Amino acid sequence: MERLIGVWIKSLRVEALDGSTLRESLALLDALGVVCPFTEVIHLGFYVLPSRGPSRFFGGEARVLEVVATVVRDVLGREASLGVADGLFCCELAAREGVVLAPGATDEYRRSRPLAVLGRRDLATTGRRLGLKTVGDFAELARARVNERFSAPVLQLHRVARGELAELPGQRDLRLDARLRRLREADRPDEQRGFFGQRGAADERAHAAALRLRQRLGADGVAVAALRGGRLPQDRAALVPWGSPTATSEGDAPWPGQLRAPSPATVFAHPVAVQLRGATSGPVLVDERGSLSAPPTTFAFASSGSRAVIWYAGPWPLVERWWSLARRRAHLQVLLETGEALLLVAESGRWSLAGVYD
Amino acid sequence: MFAFSSIRPPVPPELAATLRPITFATNRRIALDEPWRSLVPGGGLRRGSTISVQAPSGAGGLSLALSLLASASARGHWAAVVGVDDPGVVAMADLGIDLRRVLFVPRPRGAWAESVADLLDGVDLVVVRPPSRAAVGSARGLTDRVRERGAVLLVVGESATTWPLPVDLSFSVAHAQWSASSRLNGRTLRVRIEGRAGVRAGEHVVVLPDRRGRAVAG
Repeated sequence: MERLIGVWIKSLRVEALDGSTLRESLALLDALGVVCPFTEVIHLGFYVLPSRGPSRFFGGEARVLEVVATVVRDVLGREASLGVADGLFCCELAAREGVVLAPGATDEYRRSRPLAVLGRRDLATTGRRLGLKTVGDFAELARARVNERFSAPVLQLHRVARGELAELPGQRDLRLDARLRRLREADRPDEQRGFFGQRGAADERAHAAALRLRQRLGADGVAVAALRGGRLPQDRAALVPWGSPTATSEGDAPWPGQLRAPSPATVFAHPVAVQLRGATSGPVLVDERGSLSAPPTTFAFASSGSRAVIWYAGPWPLVERWWSLARRRAHLQVLLETGEALLLVAESGRWSLAGVYD
Repeated sequence: MFAFSSIRPPVPPELAATLRPITFATNRRIALDEPWRSLVPGGGLRRGSTISVQAPSGAGGLSLALSLLASASARGHWAAVVGVDDPGVVAMADLGIDLRRVLFVPRPRGAWAESVADLLDGVDLVVVRPPSRAAVGSARGLTDRVRERGAVLLVVGESATTWPLPVDLSFSVAHAQWSASSRLNGRTLRVRIEGRAGVRAGEHVVVLPDRRGRAVAG
Protein backbone atom coordinates (compact mmCIF):
# COMPACT_ATOMS: atom_id res chain seq x y z
CA MET A 1 0.00 0.00 0.00
CA GLU A 2 1.17 3.44 -0.84
CA ARG A 3 2.35 5.70 1.96
CA LEU A 4 0.06 8.73 2.03
CA ILE A 5 -0.03 12.09 3.74
CA GLY A 6 -3.52 12.95 4.95
CA VAL A 7 -4.76 16.47 5.62
CA TRP A 8 -7.83 16.69 7.85
CA ILE A 9 -9.65 19.97 8.33
CA LYS A 10 -12.57 19.45 10.63
CA SER A 11 -14.28 22.76 9.88
CA LEU A 12 -14.67 21.80 6.21
CA ARG A 13 -16.38 18.49 6.96
CA VAL A 14 -19.89 19.89 7.21
CA GLU A 15 -21.02 21.83 4.20
CA ALA A 16 -22.30 25.35 4.87
CA LEU A 17 -25.42 26.47 3.05
CA ASP A 18 -23.80 29.55 1.49
CA GLY A 19 -21.34 27.47 -0.55
CA SER A 20 -18.30 28.79 1.33
CA THR A 21 -17.17 25.26 2.25
CA LEU A 22 -16.97 24.22 -1.36
CA ARG A 23 -15.11 27.38 -2.37
CA GLU A 24 -12.60 26.92 0.45
CA SER A 25 -12.17 23.26 -0.46
CA LEU A 26 -11.41 24.22 -4.04
CA ALA A 27 -8.94 26.94 -3.00
CA LEU A 28 -7.11 24.48 -0.77
CA LEU A 29 -7.07 21.78 -3.44
CA ASP A 30 -5.50 24.20 -5.92
CA ALA A 31 -2.94 25.33 -3.35
CA LEU A 32 -1.98 21.77 -2.36
CA GLY A 33 -1.85 20.87 -6.04
CA VAL A 34 1.19 23.14 -6.27
CA VAL A 35 2.95 21.12 -3.54
CA CYS A 36 2.07 17.85 -5.25
CA PRO A 37 0.07 17.49 -8.48
CA PHE A 38 -1.31 14.15 -7.31
CA THR A 39 -3.19 15.74 -4.41
CA GLU A 40 -6.75 14.45 -4.20
CA VAL A 41 -9.73 15.51 -2.19
CA ILE A 42 -11.36 12.32 -0.92
CA HIS A 43 -14.36 13.93 0.72
CA LEU A 44 -15.05 17.33 2.22
CA GLY A 45 -12.40 18.11 4.80
CA PHE A 46 -9.98 15.33 3.84
CA TYR A 47 -7.13 15.63 1.34
CA VAL A 48 -4.48 13.12 0.44
CA LEU A 49 -1.12 13.34 -1.29
CA PRO A 50 1.50 10.64 -1.82
CA SER A 51 4.46 10.84 0.52
CA ARG A 52 7.26 9.46 -1.63
CA GLY A 53 7.63 11.96 -4.47
CA PRO A 54 7.19 15.18 -2.47
CA SER A 55 9.48 13.85 0.30
CA ARG A 56 12.25 13.41 -2.19
CA PHE A 57 11.60 16.82 -3.68
CA PHE A 58 11.38 18.77 -0.42
CA GLY A 59 14.05 16.78 1.35
CA GLY A 60 12.19 14.58 3.79
CA GLU A 61 8.67 13.85 4.92
CA ALA A 62 8.91 16.18 7.92
CA ARG A 63 9.68 19.03 5.56
CA VAL A 64 6.64 18.18 3.39
CA LEU A 65 4.42 18.19 6.47
CA GLU A 66 5.73 21.66 7.37
CA VAL A 67 5.04 22.92 3.84
CA VAL A 68 1.52 21.45 3.84
CA ALA A 69 0.77 22.94 7.28
CA THR A 70 1.95 26.34 6.06
CA VAL A 71 -0.17 26.10 2.90
CA VAL A 72 -3.31 25.29 4.90
CA ARG A 73 -2.59 28.13 7.31
CA ASP A 74 -2.09 30.58 4.44
CA VAL A 75 -5.18 29.53 2.49
CA LEU A 76 -7.70 28.97 5.28
CA GLY A 77 -6.16 30.72 8.27
CA ARG A 78 -6.73 27.55 10.29
CA GLU A 79 -4.63 24.65 11.50
CA ALA A 80 -4.87 21.31 9.78
CA SER A 81 -4.48 17.95 11.43
CA LEU A 82 -1.88 15.98 9.50
CA GLY A 83 -1.22 12.25 9.50
CA VAL A 84 0.87 9.77 7.56
CA ALA A 85 0.04 6.10 7.07
CA ASP A 86 -0.19 3.40 4.40
CA GLY A 87 -3.45 3.18 2.50
CA LEU A 88 -6.36 5.56 2.37
CA PHE A 89 -8.31 4.10 5.29
CA CYS A 90 -5.51 4.29 7.82
CA CYS A 91 -4.36 7.59 6.42
CA GLU A 92 -7.69 9.18 7.30
CA LEU A 93 -7.62 7.71 10.82
CA ALA A 94 -4.07 8.96 11.31
CA ALA A 95 -4.91 12.40 9.94
CA ARG A 96 -7.90 12.78 12.22
CA GLU A 97 -5.75 11.88 15.22
CA GLY A 98 -2.76 13.81 13.92
CA VAL A 99 -0.29 10.94 14.13
CA VAL A 100 2.61 10.23 11.80
CA LEU A 101 3.20 6.50 11.70
CA ALA A 102 6.66 5.11 11.12
CA PRO A 103 7.02 3.02 7.94
CA GLY A 104 5.66 -0.45 8.67
CA ALA A 105 3.71 0.62 11.74
CA THR A 106 0.41 0.97 9.92
CA ASP A 107 -0.67 -2.62 10.44
CA GLU A 108 -0.30 -2.51 14.20
CA TYR A 109 -1.96 0.90 14.32
CA ARG A 110 -4.98 -0.29 12.35
CA ARG A 111 -5.41 -3.35 14.54
CA SER A 112 -5.37 -1.26 17.70
CA ARG A 113 -8.23 1.01 16.62
CA PRO A 114 -11.70 0.47 18.08
CA LEU A 115 -14.10 -1.43 15.85
CA ALA A 116 -16.32 1.64 15.41
CA VAL A 117 -13.79 3.25 13.05
CA LEU A 118 -15.02 0.94 10.30
CA GLY A 119 -18.06 3.18 10.27
CA ARG A 120 -20.89 0.73 10.95
CA ARG A 121 -22.65 1.08 14.23
CA ASP A 122 -24.39 -2.29 13.92
CA LEU A 123 -21.09 -4.05 13.44
CA ALA A 124 -19.58 -2.23 16.40
CA THR A 125 -22.52 -3.18 18.63
CA THR A 126 -22.53 -6.82 17.54
CA GLY A 127 -18.76 -6.89 17.87
CA ARG A 128 -18.89 -5.59 21.43
CA ARG A 129 -21.33 -8.34 22.37
CA LEU A 130 -19.05 -10.91 20.79
CA GLY A 131 -16.06 -9.51 22.64
CA LEU A 132 -14.49 -7.96 19.53
CA LYS A 133 -13.25 -4.57 20.68
CA THR A 134 -10.70 -3.58 18.10
CA VAL A 135 -10.27 -3.78 14.34
CA GLY A 136 -7.57 -6.37 15.02
CA ASP A 137 -10.01 -8.61 16.89
CA PHE A 138 -12.38 -8.44 13.95
CA ALA A 139 -9.57 -9.14 11.49
CA GLU A 140 -8.67 -12.30 13.40
CA LEU A 141 -12.03 -13.86 12.52
CA ALA A 142 -11.80 -16.30 9.64
CA ARG A 143 -13.38 -14.99 6.47
CA ALA A 144 -15.73 -17.95 6.27
CA ARG A 145 -17.09 -17.14 9.75
CA VAL A 146 -17.68 -13.53 8.76
CA ASN A 147 -19.35 -14.65 5.57
CA GLU A 148 -21.72 -16.90 7.53
CA ARG A 149 -22.89 -14.20 9.87
CA PHE A 150 -22.71 -10.90 8.05
CA SER A 151 -23.76 -9.31 4.79
CA ALA A 152 -21.49 -8.63 1.81
CA PRO A 153 -20.64 -5.03 2.82
CA VAL A 154 -19.31 -6.30 6.15
CA LEU A 155 -17.17 -8.79 4.27
CA GLN A 156 -15.61 -5.83 2.48
CA LEU A 157 -14.98 -4.19 5.86
CA HIS A 158 -13.34 -7.40 7.00
CA ARG A 159 -10.94 -7.14 4.08
CA VAL A 160 -10.21 -3.54 5.09
CA ALA A 161 -9.62 -4.68 8.67
CA ARG A 162 -7.17 -7.31 7.45
CA GLY A 163 -5.35 -4.76 5.38
CA GLU A 164 -6.31 -6.37 2.05
CA LEU A 165 -8.23 -3.33 0.90
CA ALA A 166 -6.66 0.09 1.20
CA GLU A 167 -9.85 2.10 1.39
CA LEU A 168 -13.21 1.83 3.00
CA PRO A 169 -16.09 1.35 0.54
CA GLY A 170 -17.84 4.71 0.37
CA GLN A 171 -14.90 6.60 1.79
CA ARG A 172 -14.57 8.66 -1.37
CA ASP A 173 -17.20 11.23 -2.24
CA LEU A 174 -17.54 10.42 -5.92
CA ARG A 175 -19.56 13.50 -6.79
CA LEU A 176 -17.21 15.96 -5.12
CA ASP A 177 -14.71 16.10 -7.95
CA ALA A 178 -17.34 17.03 -10.51
CA ARG A 179 -18.85 19.62 -8.17
CA LEU A 180 -15.51 21.29 -7.62
CA ARG A 181 -14.81 21.32 -11.33
CA ARG A 182 -18.18 22.93 -11.99
CA LEU A 183 -17.43 25.55 -9.36
CA ARG A 184 -14.06 26.30 -10.92
CA GLU A 185 -15.75 26.74 -14.29
CA ALA A 186 -18.42 29.05 -12.82
CA ASP A 187 -15.70 31.37 -11.56
CA ARG A 188 -14.70 32.07 -15.14
CA PRO A 189 -17.89 33.30 -16.74
CA ASP A 190 -16.50 34.54 -20.08
CA GLU A 191 -15.17 31.13 -20.96
CA GLN A 192 -17.19 28.81 -23.14
CA ARG A 193 -19.24 26.47 -21.03
CA GLY A 194 -20.61 23.09 -21.87
CA PHE A 195 -20.75 21.40 -25.21
CA PHE A 196 -22.85 23.59 -27.34
CA GLY A 197 -20.64 25.97 -29.27
CA GLN A 198 -23.16 27.68 -31.46
CA ARG A 199 -26.49 26.28 -30.64
CA GLY A 200 -28.81 25.50 -33.48
CA ALA A 201 -32.36 24.25 -33.19
CA ALA A 202 -31.20 20.63 -33.17
CA ASP A 203 -28.71 21.33 -30.40
CA GLU A 204 -31.41 23.03 -28.35
CA ARG A 205 -33.67 20.05 -28.81
CA ALA A 206 -30.96 17.59 -27.73
CA HIS A 207 -30.13 19.83 -24.82
CA ALA A 208 -33.74 19.86 -23.65
CA ALA A 209 -34.03 16.07 -23.94
CA ALA A 210 -30.82 15.56 -21.98
CA LEU A 211 -32.02 17.92 -19.28
CA ARG A 212 -35.31 16.07 -18.94
CA LEU A 213 -33.51 12.74 -18.83
CA ARG A 214 -31.15 13.97 -16.15
CA GLN A 215 -34.12 14.86 -14.01
CA ARG A 216 -35.42 11.33 -14.50
CA LEU A 217 -32.18 9.43 -13.91
CA GLY A 218 -30.10 11.70 -11.68
CA ALA A 219 -26.93 13.68 -12.25
CA ASP A 220 -24.87 10.75 -13.56
CA GLY A 221 -27.63 9.33 -15.73
CA VAL A 222 -26.72 11.13 -18.94
CA ALA A 223 -23.14 11.29 -20.09
CA VAL A 224 -21.04 12.57 -22.94
CA ALA A 225 -17.68 11.26 -24.08
CA ALA A 226 -14.40 13.04 -23.87
CA LEU A 227 -11.31 11.85 -25.69
CA ARG A 228 -7.89 12.62 -24.30
CA GLY A 229 -4.34 11.42 -24.59
CA GLY A 230 -3.43 7.96 -23.37
CA ARG A 231 -2.23 4.57 -24.42
CA LEU A 232 -5.05 2.17 -23.74
CA PRO A 233 -8.67 2.67 -24.78
CA GLN A 234 -9.80 2.93 -21.16
CA ASP A 235 -7.24 5.70 -20.57
CA ARG A 236 -8.09 7.60 -23.73
CA ALA A 237 -11.80 7.94 -23.24
CA ALA A 238 -14.00 8.92 -20.40
CA LEU A 239 -17.71 9.33 -20.00
CA VAL A 240 -18.38 12.48 -18.04
CA PRO A 241 -21.79 13.45 -16.69
CA TRP A 242 -23.66 15.62 -19.15
CA GLY A 243 -23.52 19.28 -18.21
CA SER A 244 -20.15 19.13 -16.53
CA PRO A 245 -17.44 21.12 -18.27
CA THR A 246 -15.38 19.13 -20.74
CA ALA A 247 -11.72 18.46 -20.55
CA THR A 248 -9.76 19.89 -23.45
CA SER A 249 -9.67 17.31 -26.18
CA GLU A 250 -6.19 16.19 -27.11
CA GLY A 251 -7.31 12.95 -28.64
CA ASP A 252 -5.52 13.56 -31.93
CA ALA A 253 -2.11 14.25 -30.45
CA PRO A 254 0.43 11.50 -31.18
CA TRP A 255 0.82 9.35 -28.15
CA PRO A 256 3.75 6.95 -28.26
CA GLY A 257 2.85 3.38 -27.49
CA GLN A 258 -0.81 3.94 -28.22
CA LEU A 259 -2.76 0.82 -29.09
CA ARG A 260 -3.57 1.07 -32.78
CA ALA A 261 -7.01 0.71 -34.35
CA PRO A 262 -9.19 -1.27 -34.35
CA SER A 263 -10.22 -0.45 -30.84
CA PRO A 264 -12.72 -2.53 -28.81
CA ALA A 265 -16.37 -1.49 -29.12
CA THR A 266 -16.87 -2.33 -25.45
CA VAL A 267 -14.32 -0.87 -23.05
CA PHE A 268 -14.79 -1.55 -19.37
CA ALA A 269 -14.47 1.47 -17.15
CA HIS A 270 -13.69 -0.97 -14.35
CA PRO A 271 -11.72 -3.86 -15.84
CA VAL A 272 -12.93 -7.33 -14.93
CA ALA A 273 -10.50 -9.79 -13.32
CA VAL A 274 -9.84 -12.82 -15.55
CA GLN A 275 -7.48 -15.78 -15.65
CA LEU A 276 -5.15 -16.80 -18.41
CA ARG A 277 -3.48 -20.20 -18.26
CA GLY A 278 -0.88 -21.98 -20.31
CA ALA A 279 -0.66 -25.57 -21.47
CA THR A 280 0.63 -26.73 -18.10
CA SER A 281 -2.49 -25.05 -16.64
CA GLY A 282 -0.37 -22.69 -14.57
CA PRO A 283 -1.14 -18.98 -14.79
CA VAL A 284 0.56 -17.06 -17.61
CA LEU A 285 2.64 -14.14 -16.37
CA VAL A 286 4.42 -11.24 -18.02
CA ASP A 287 8.03 -11.02 -16.89
CA GLU A 288 10.13 -7.91 -16.43
CA ARG A 289 11.33 -7.96 -20.00
CA GLY A 290 7.75 -7.98 -21.21
CA SER A 291 7.47 -11.51 -22.52
CA LEU A 292 4.98 -14.20 -21.56
CA SER A 293 6.00 -17.05 -19.28
CA ALA A 294 4.09 -19.51 -21.49
CA PRO A 295 1.79 -19.30 -24.50
CA PRO A 296 -1.77 -18.87 -23.22
CA THR A 297 -4.16 -21.69 -24.04
CA THR A 298 -7.23 -21.11 -21.90
CA PHE A 299 -9.13 -18.06 -20.75
CA ALA A 300 -11.57 -17.95 -17.85
CA PHE A 301 -13.53 -15.43 -15.90
CA ALA A 302 -12.88 -15.61 -12.19
CA SER A 303 -16.20 -17.35 -11.67
CA SER A 304 -17.29 -19.34 -14.71
CA GLY A 305 -15.98 -21.96 -17.12
CA SER A 306 -12.99 -21.61 -19.36
CA ARG A 307 -12.62 -21.27 -23.12
CA ALA A 308 -9.71 -22.09 -25.37
CA VAL A 309 -7.47 -19.36 -26.73
CA ILE A 310 -6.84 -19.98 -30.44
CA TRP A 311 -4.64 -16.97 -31.21
CA TYR A 312 -2.94 -14.17 -29.35
CA ALA A 313 -0.80 -11.16 -30.10
CA GLY A 314 1.45 -9.27 -27.78
CA PRO A 315 2.17 -8.64 -25.03
CA TRP A 316 2.94 -5.03 -25.73
CA PRO A 317 4.41 -3.58 -22.59
CA LEU A 318 3.41 -0.07 -21.66
CA VAL A 319 6.37 1.79 -20.30
CA GLU A 320 4.77 4.60 -18.40
CA ARG A 321 5.72 6.22 -15.13
CA TRP A 322 8.65 3.82 -15.21
CA TRP A 323 9.90 5.17 -11.88
CA SER A 324 6.90 3.65 -10.18
CA LEU A 325 6.88 -0.13 -10.01
CA ALA A 326 3.18 -0.04 -9.24
CA ARG A 327 2.39 1.03 -12.80
CA ARG A 328 3.74 -1.57 -15.13
CA ARG A 329 1.22 -2.78 -17.64
CA ALA A 330 1.16 -4.87 -20.76
CA HIS A 331 -1.68 -5.61 -23.10
CA LEU A 332 -2.54 -8.67 -25.09
CA GLN A 333 -5.07 -9.38 -27.83
CA VAL A 334 -6.61 -12.86 -27.73
CA LEU A 335 -9.06 -14.68 -29.95
CA LEU A 336 -11.24 -17.33 -28.33
CA GLU A 337 -12.62 -20.51 -29.86
CA THR A 338 -16.05 -18.88 -29.76
CA GLY A 339 -14.85 -16.21 -32.20
CA GLU A 340 -14.75 -13.42 -29.66
CA ALA A 341 -11.75 -11.11 -29.66
CA LEU A 342 -10.67 -9.62 -26.35
CA LEU A 343 -8.21 -7.04 -25.12
CA LEU A 344 -6.51 -8.08 -21.88
CA VAL A 345 -4.25 -6.06 -19.62
CA ALA A 346 -1.68 -7.46 -17.21
CA GLU A 347 -0.86 -5.32 -14.24
CA SER A 348 1.19 -6.44 -11.23
CA GLY A 349 0.83 -10.12 -12.08
CA ARG A 350 -2.91 -10.10 -12.63
CA TRP A 351 -4.94 -10.15 -15.84
CA SER A 352 -8.02 -8.14 -16.43
CA LEU A 353 -10.42 -7.83 -19.32
CA ALA A 354 -10.15 -4.29 -20.66
CA GLY A 355 -12.37 -4.58 -23.68
CA VAL A 356 -14.35 -6.75 -26.07
CA TYR A 357 -14.20 -6.28 -29.82
CA ASP A 358 -17.98 -6.48 -29.90
CA MET B 1 -59.84 33.26 -57.44
CA PHE B 2 -57.40 31.76 -59.94
CA ALA B 3 -58.52 28.35 -58.90
CA PHE B 4 -61.84 28.91 -60.61
CA SER B 5 -60.51 30.67 -63.66
CA SER B 6 -59.84 28.57 -66.73
CA ILE B 7 -56.84 30.68 -67.72
CA ARG B 8 -54.15 30.83 -65.06
CA PRO B 9 -51.57 33.56 -65.24
CA PRO B 10 -48.04 32.15 -65.59
CA VAL B 11 -46.27 31.68 -62.28
CA PRO B 12 -43.08 33.76 -62.11
CA PRO B 13 -40.02 31.50 -61.94
CA GLU B 14 -38.73 32.96 -58.63
CA LEU B 15 -42.11 32.23 -57.04
CA ALA B 16 -42.16 28.75 -58.54
CA ALA B 17 -38.91 27.99 -56.79
CA THR B 18 -40.46 28.68 -53.41
CA LEU B 19 -43.58 26.66 -54.20
CA ARG B 20 -41.74 23.36 -54.42
CA PRO B 21 -42.66 20.86 -51.77
CA ILE B 22 -40.66 21.45 -48.65
CA THR B 23 -40.16 17.83 -47.71
CA PHE B 24 -38.33 15.78 -50.28
CA ALA B 25 -38.28 12.04 -50.15
CA THR B 26 -34.53 12.25 -49.59
CA ASN B 27 -35.08 14.44 -46.54
CA ARG B 28 -37.16 11.68 -45.12
CA ARG B 29 -34.03 9.57 -45.03
CA ILE B 30 -30.89 10.00 -42.98
CA ALA B 31 -28.14 9.37 -45.49
CA LEU B 32 -25.63 6.56 -45.06
CA ASP B 33 -22.11 6.28 -46.40
CA GLU B 34 -20.51 3.27 -47.99
CA PRO B 35 -20.58 0.35 -47.41
CA TRP B 36 -24.16 0.66 -46.22
CA ARG B 37 -25.40 3.15 -48.82
CA SER B 38 -25.48 0.62 -51.64
CA LEU B 39 -27.00 -2.11 -49.47
CA VAL B 40 -29.91 -0.24 -47.93
CA PRO B 41 -32.97 0.87 -49.96
CA GLY B 42 -32.81 4.59 -50.72
CA GLY B 43 -29.24 4.74 -49.48
CA GLY B 44 -30.29 5.82 -46.03
CA LEU B 45 -32.27 5.13 -42.88
CA ARG B 46 -35.87 6.17 -43.35
CA ARG B 47 -37.05 8.59 -40.70
CA GLY B 48 -39.71 7.12 -38.46
CA SER B 49 -38.40 3.58 -38.84
CA THR B 50 -37.42 1.01 -36.27
CA ILE B 51 -34.39 -1.07 -37.16
CA SER B 52 -33.05 -4.16 -35.47
CA VAL B 53 -29.44 -5.29 -35.35
CA GLN B 54 -28.85 -8.87 -34.25
CA ALA B 55 -25.63 -10.70 -33.70
CA PRO B 56 -24.39 -13.44 -31.38
CA SER B 57 -22.37 -12.25 -28.42
CA GLY B 58 -19.05 -10.79 -29.52
CA ALA B 59 -19.88 -11.00 -33.25
CA GLY B 60 -19.99 -7.31 -33.90
CA GLY B 61 -23.62 -6.33 -33.30
CA LEU B 62 -22.68 -3.25 -31.34
CA SER B 63 -20.03 -2.19 -33.87
CA LEU B 64 -22.55 -2.61 -36.68
CA ALA B 65 -25.17 -0.45 -34.98
CA LEU B 66 -22.59 2.21 -34.17
CA SER B 67 -21.29 2.21 -37.74
CA LEU B 68 -24.83 3.03 -38.90
CA LEU B 69 -24.63 6.18 -36.75
CA ALA B 70 -21.36 7.37 -38.18
CA SER B 71 -22.42 9.15 -41.35
CA ALA B 72 -25.43 10.79 -39.71
CA SER B 73 -23.34 11.99 -36.80
CA ALA B 74 -20.68 13.38 -39.12
CA ARG B 75 -23.43 15.30 -40.96
CA GLY B 76 -24.56 17.02 -37.79
CA HIS B 77 -27.34 14.77 -36.53
CA TRP B 78 -27.57 14.11 -32.83
CA ALA B 79 -27.52 10.52 -31.61
CA ALA B 80 -27.91 8.71 -28.32
CA VAL B 81 -26.67 5.35 -27.04
CA VAL B 82 -28.81 3.74 -24.34
CA GLY B 83 -28.10 0.67 -22.26
CA VAL B 84 -24.53 0.10 -23.44
CA ASP B 85 -22.75 -0.08 -20.08
CA ASP B 86 -19.20 0.42 -21.25
CA PRO B 87 -19.10 1.94 -24.73
CA GLY B 88 -15.77 1.91 -26.56
CA VAL B 89 -15.53 5.59 -27.18
CA VAL B 90 -12.27 5.34 -29.10
CA ALA B 91 -13.83 2.78 -31.45
CA MET B 92 -16.75 5.14 -32.00
CA ALA B 93 -14.41 7.98 -32.87
CA ASP B 94 -12.55 5.66 -35.26
CA LEU B 95 -15.83 4.81 -36.98
CA GLY B 96 -16.26 8.51 -37.74
CA ILE B 97 -18.83 9.39 -35.09
CA ASP B 98 -18.69 12.98 -33.90
CA LEU B 99 -18.69 12.47 -30.14
CA ARG B 100 -19.74 16.04 -29.48
CA ARG B 101 -23.22 15.13 -30.64
CA VAL B 102 -23.71 11.82 -28.86
CA LEU B 103 -25.51 11.42 -25.54
CA PHE B 104 -24.88 8.29 -23.51
CA VAL B 105 -27.27 6.73 -21.05
CA PRO B 106 -25.10 3.84 -19.92
CA ARG B 107 -27.20 2.42 -17.13
CA PRO B 108 -30.86 3.36 -17.43
CA ARG B 109 -31.72 0.44 -15.10
CA GLY B 110 -35.48 -0.15 -15.18
CA ALA B 111 -36.21 3.05 -17.06
CA TRP B 112 -34.69 2.22 -20.45
CA ALA B 113 -37.95 2.55 -22.39
CA GLU B 114 -38.75 5.88 -20.76
CA SER B 115 -35.21 7.07 -21.42
CA VAL B 116 -35.49 6.16 -25.09
CA ALA B 117 -38.85 7.93 -25.30
CA ASP B 118 -37.35 11.09 -23.80
CA LEU B 119 -34.39 10.95 -26.17
CA LEU B 120 -36.55 10.47 -29.26
CA ASP B 121 -37.86 13.98 -28.65
CA GLY B 122 -34.39 15.41 -28.81
CA VAL B 123 -32.13 13.39 -31.08
CA ASP B 124 -32.44 11.90 -34.57
CA LEU B 125 -31.01 8.44 -33.91
CA VAL B 126 -31.16 6.29 -30.81
CA VAL B 127 -29.22 3.05 -30.40
CA VAL B 128 -30.62 0.96 -27.58
CA ARG B 129 -29.47 -2.36 -26.16
CA PRO B 130 -32.42 -3.33 -23.97
CA PRO B 131 -31.27 -5.00 -20.75
CA SER B 132 -34.16 -7.43 -21.06
CA ARG B 133 -36.73 -8.45 -23.63
CA ALA B 134 -38.97 -5.48 -24.38
CA ALA B 135 -42.61 -5.73 -23.38
CA VAL B 136 -45.02 -5.52 -26.31
CA GLY B 137 -46.72 -2.45 -24.87
CA SER B 138 -43.60 -0.39 -24.40
CA ALA B 139 -42.24 -1.52 -27.78
CA ARG B 140 -45.42 -0.36 -29.47
CA GLY B 141 -45.28 2.95 -27.62
CA LEU B 142 -41.71 3.50 -28.77
CA THR B 143 -42.47 2.52 -32.38
CA ASP B 144 -45.27 5.09 -32.44
CA ARG B 145 -43.07 7.72 -30.90
CA VAL B 146 -40.33 7.06 -33.47
CA ARG B 147 -42.83 7.44 -36.33
CA GLU B 148 -44.35 10.58 -34.89
CA ARG B 149 -41.00 12.26 -34.26
CA GLY B 150 -39.38 11.18 -37.50
CA ALA B 151 -36.46 9.70 -35.64
CA VAL B 152 -34.69 6.35 -36.16
CA LEU B 153 -34.52 3.70 -33.47
CA LEU B 154 -31.84 0.99 -33.68
CA VAL B 155 -32.38 -1.96 -31.37
CA VAL B 156 -29.31 -4.10 -30.71
CA GLY B 157 -29.76 -7.62 -29.40
CA GLU B 158 -28.39 -11.11 -29.53
CA SER B 159 -31.53 -12.67 -30.94
CA ALA B 160 -34.71 -11.79 -32.76
CA THR B 161 -36.72 -12.02 -29.55
CA THR B 162 -35.23 -8.82 -28.11
CA TRP B 163 -37.81 -6.76 -29.95
CA PRO B 164 -41.31 -8.26 -29.99
CA LEU B 165 -42.72 -6.29 -32.96
CA PRO B 166 -41.92 -6.44 -36.68
CA VAL B 167 -39.27 -3.92 -37.70
CA ASP B 168 -38.82 -1.87 -40.86
CA LEU B 169 -35.31 -3.05 -41.53
CA SER B 170 -33.21 -5.71 -39.89
CA PHE B 171 -29.50 -6.40 -39.96
CA SER B 172 -28.33 -9.76 -38.71
CA VAL B 173 -24.79 -11.01 -38.55
CA ALA B 174 -24.68 -14.55 -39.93
CA HIS B 175 -20.97 -15.06 -39.56
CA ALA B 176 -18.02 -13.17 -38.15
CA GLN B 177 -14.37 -13.98 -38.79
CA TRP B 178 -11.31 -12.13 -37.54
CA SER B 179 -8.21 -11.86 -39.62
CA ALA B 180 -5.05 -11.49 -37.63
CA SER B 181 -1.35 -11.40 -38.21
CA SER B 182 0.86 -9.77 -35.62
CA ARG B 183 -2.26 -8.08 -34.29
CA LEU B 184 -5.98 -8.04 -35.01
CA ASN B 185 -6.36 -6.69 -38.53
CA GLY B 186 -10.04 -6.71 -39.20
CA ARG B 187 -13.23 -8.66 -38.93
CA THR B 188 -15.25 -9.86 -41.87
CA LEU B 189 -18.96 -9.94 -41.22
CA ARG B 190 -21.56 -11.67 -43.37
CA VAL B 191 -24.63 -9.54 -42.84
CA ARG B 192 -28.15 -10.41 -43.87
CA ILE B 193 -30.34 -7.37 -44.47
CA GLU B 194 -34.08 -7.81 -44.55
CA GLY B 195 -36.71 -5.17 -44.98
CA ARG B 196 -40.16 -4.45 -46.20
CA ALA B 197 -39.25 -3.41 -49.72
CA GLY B 198 -36.36 -2.69 -52.03
CA VAL B 199 -33.71 -4.59 -50.14
CA ARG B 200 -31.11 -6.48 -52.10
CA ALA B 201 -31.59 -9.95 -50.80
CA GLY B 202 -28.83 -12.25 -49.71
CA GLU B 203 -25.79 -11.90 -47.55
CA HIS B 204 -23.42 -9.00 -47.84
CA VAL B 205 -19.81 -8.99 -46.78
CA VAL B 206 -18.60 -6.03 -44.75
CA VAL B 207 -15.28 -5.58 -42.99
CA LEU B 208 -15.99 -4.03 -39.61
CA PRO B 209 -13.74 -2.85 -38.10
CA ASP B 210 -10.88 -2.69 -40.58
CA ARG B 211 -7.30 -1.74 -39.77
CA ARG B 212 -8.32 1.86 -39.19
CA GLY B 213 -11.40 0.94 -37.18
CA ARG B 214 -13.84 1.80 -39.99
CA ALA B 215 -16.50 -0.12 -41.87
CA VAL B 216 -15.71 -0.96 -45.50
CA ALA B 217 -17.26 -3.19 -48.13
CA GLY B 218 -15.69 -6.64 -48.18
